[in-house]
Amino acid sequence: MAERDHETVNGARQPGGYFGRALIVNVTDGSSTTLELPAAVLRDYIGGAGLGTWLLTTLAPVGVDPLGPEAPLAFVFSPLVGTPLTTSAKFAVVAKSPLTGFLTDALASSHFAIAGKLTGHDAIVVTGRAAAPSVLLVDGDEIRLEDATCEWGLSAAHAETAVRERLGRAWRVASIGTAGERLVRFATISHDGRHAGRGGLGAVLGSKNLKAVAVRPRTKVAPADPAGVLAAARELRAASFGAATAKFRELGTLANLLAFNAVSTLPTRNFTSATFEGAPQLSAEELADLRGVTKNSCASCAIGCEHIYRRKGGKQVRVEYQNVFAVGSMCGVADADDVLEASARCDELGLDTISAGGTIAWAMECAERGLIDAPWLRFGDGPAVLRALDEIVEGTDLGALLAQGSRRAAEQVGGGSADFAPHVKGLEMPGYEPRTLHAMALGLAVNARGADHNRTGAYQADLSGEVDRLAGGQDHVFAAIETEDRAAIMDSLILCNFLKGVFDEPFADWARLLALVTGWDVDEAEMRATAARIVLAKRAYNLREGWTPADDWLPKRMLETTLTLPSGRVASLTAERLRAMISGYYAARGLDADGRQVVEPAPIHPG
Amino acid sequence: MVLAGGRSVRMGSAKAALPWHGSTLLRHVCGLVGRGVDGQVLVVRAPGQALPALPNSVEVLDDPNEGLGPLQGIAVGLAALEDRADAAFVCGTDVPFLHPEFVRRVVRACAEADPPCDVVLPIARGHAQPLAAAYRPALAVLAAKLVAADRLRPAFLFDECSVLRLDDDALLSDARLRAADPRLDSVINLNGPDDYAAAHERPAPQITVECFGVLATHHGRGTRSFRAATVARAAEAAGVPWDRHVLAAVNGDQTGRDGDLALVPGDTVAFLSAAAGG
Repeated sequence: MAERDHETVNGARQPGGYFGRALIVNVTDGSSTTLELPAAVLRDYIGGAGLGTWLLTTLAPVGVDPLGPEAPLAFVFSPLVGTPLTTSAKFAVVAKSPLTGFLTDALASSHFAIAGKLTGHDAIVVTGRAAAPSVLLVDGDEIRLEDATCEWGLSAAHAETAVRERLGRAWRVASIGTAGERLVRFATISHDGRHAGRGGLGAVLGSKNLKAVAVRPRTKVAPADPAGVLAAARELRAASFGAATAKFRELGTLANLLAFNAVSTLPTRNFTSATFEGAPQLSAEELADLRGVTKNSCASCAIGCEHIYRRKGGKQVRVEYQNVFAVGSMCGVADADDVLEASARCDELGLDTISAGGTIAWAMECAERGLIDAPWLRFGDGPAVLRALDEIVEGTDLGALLAQGSRRAAEQVGGGSADFAPHVKGLEMPGYEPRTLHAMALGLAVNARGADHNRTGAYQADLSGEVDRLAGGQDHVFAAIETEDRAAIMDSLILCNFLKGVFDEPFADWARLLALVTGWDVDEAEMRATAARIVLAKRAYNLREGWTPADDWLPKRMLETTLTLPSGRVASLTAERLRAMISGYYAARGLDADGRQVVEPAPIHPG
Repeated sequence: MVLAGGRSVRMGSAKAALPWHGSTLLRHVCGLVGRGVDGQVLVVRAPGQALPALPNSVEVLDDPNEGLGPLQGIAVGLAALEDRADAAFVCGTDVPFLHPEFVRRVVRACAEADPPCDVVLPIARGHAQPLAAAYRPALAVLAAKLVAADRLRPAFLFDECSVLRLDDDALLSDARLRAADPRLDSVINLNGPDDYAAAHERPAPQITVECFGVLATHHGRGTRSFRAATVARAAEAAGVPWDRHVLAAVNGDQTGRDGDLALVPGDTVAFLSAAAGG
């Protein structure tokens, strides 16, 4: 292998951990070019979601159709990828979302990240549309398209296996299921069973007639201070075995379910309740005892949050809290067999479980109100969820409606159904009840990606007691901004969100890691400035694509109906309260009263 | 609003700082009030009065005048709330058995009164309870005028505004209060050392603990019953390490790390992992 570390681009020495270039592939004609990434850009946006935002802003035509050939789809790596730092083997996929019409950036883990980076690029950007179903191969600087007729119609996992068997084990593959082929607007891209899940990136890859992208490592890149990185990695690994990650390690994210039920934050039956009587049957505690099979971890991860459960019939499924919330409580389904089966079906078809569950729950309510003709689709009916998932991908009349996501479907159905369509900016809401988590309510409303629990972690402030979770105000604004900034850095370095409790001084700690890898003299203040820049850059992209203040808002149901807690306290989130928090957020972010940027976010390291 | 002033002559030492099951009486009462209201908890103290530690969420007001009695403290507190609340529940620092359901009952009566009233005054256990009552903040001016006129008893205020009086039956018509505090111990106040000793000898409240996630794995699943007066004592009883990795929620309400938060009989305390992501 060729050693590319610290090569120069245009005479400029590259910082450690970077190649300083992105590969731009046009699959219409099979051509490729190299885009040099100035060190100043890398320092301003780091990698992952941050660099992906810069690439999308730079490369995407204004107003581009997300499913059109001109729309770029970027696989973005980061300076930490390939280092021994735990959880750093992650990549971001960034594009204009066919679900929201705005920027979406989804992360996935494992060997694709390492192999993709070691093709010698900090990002691989795909444009165009192949003439026939294809696999894009990136082999160092060489690219080629191979026929994917044999893989077309397979699940993402089967396609990945088939492509690797054909190409060889050195190749790593990110692929789509049939949902992506059929342009379902919440289709995922998956690798090794993990999904870049939110915003319909699978449909974007499908729109390019690509079943998969395969990468093979051809080079190396070294950090600026290998010994320092190794020492930091040992330290981080040791810390990651502690109490701050015990929940993820021992029970996985599904441990949230029963706890959230106890504190009225478990969305149930399309947000008509925040507690679910069937929660105990679906809980991690119950499933671990009765169906637990094994645990697993991503490449380069010491936490090992993945918990594998046995399905009916002996098959296995990897389950997260968000899966079980979305196809379980959200749809009122308490039968664990049905929920595990539905979760597995989403994986096989390549569907984002949150959007799938949210859209089906909305449809169940529509059916019960007589707004759509689907008498079989009722809350609590597990087989009905499975049927709906299949119809979404098969493209029946109902399936084609639901494949658009709840926002577009509600626009077609009318009858007031938009009031209870569970989305923000078109992205379906995750398993955090905004009426009982007011900082999170703000985070969900203003986040660039839409209703999202990864780009904002404001629920942490609500649940920790730092703020009164039932009385949103200015403290909640600061909490939402702080968690949004933290996510911006973690998603750009990239480090797993589940490490967040490990860092005592997060921005300073992250600056130290980045300095060891790159050789830059970054500090806490610069990391905070970078975080704000990335958040604002996402908003700037959205503004360019037609964002209006009405997009930073929550569904009417959240603002006009209340929930009663077991304590007797009534939880309400009024439009007035939300508007006040949003105004506070805009002011604190330096935006104008309508949330528009007064000036572009300034680079601090002008190239 | 908790009135922490007063000379505590009969008690012989400041009531606010009296020990209460690992906490202090004032801290305990502030926690109970906070659990019963939706808004801010205020403490009104006498000039220069030293207070025991309180959570950051509690706002402390200084009463510029000492020795003028509770109406003066009420006037100061209501004035601070005029643009911030529709009604204020007012109590002293010496009501250790105050139940959040009692607070809610009184405040709700104020909100729902038809015709509207200025004060909801419980007549409980045979006595009017001006220091377990709800007041409209707009009464601040009238209260201050009465104090200035040396008419220092709350009864003078009641003479000049509309008062909704709730006797035992009326109070206990609320099912939640009837279940939580059937004898209306909420209004028992501690005047002297004997009162304090007798109250302190009562066993800590019977409460239920439930652990979730890894805490359930390590410290037991399902519900368990203990006696504990605070969240930290409940954690100790359940064998849960009360550290930064653990959160508690009482009756599914606020979640947090306030170990001194007061418990009352019948409470359910949920212990959760502080790592909430996913």
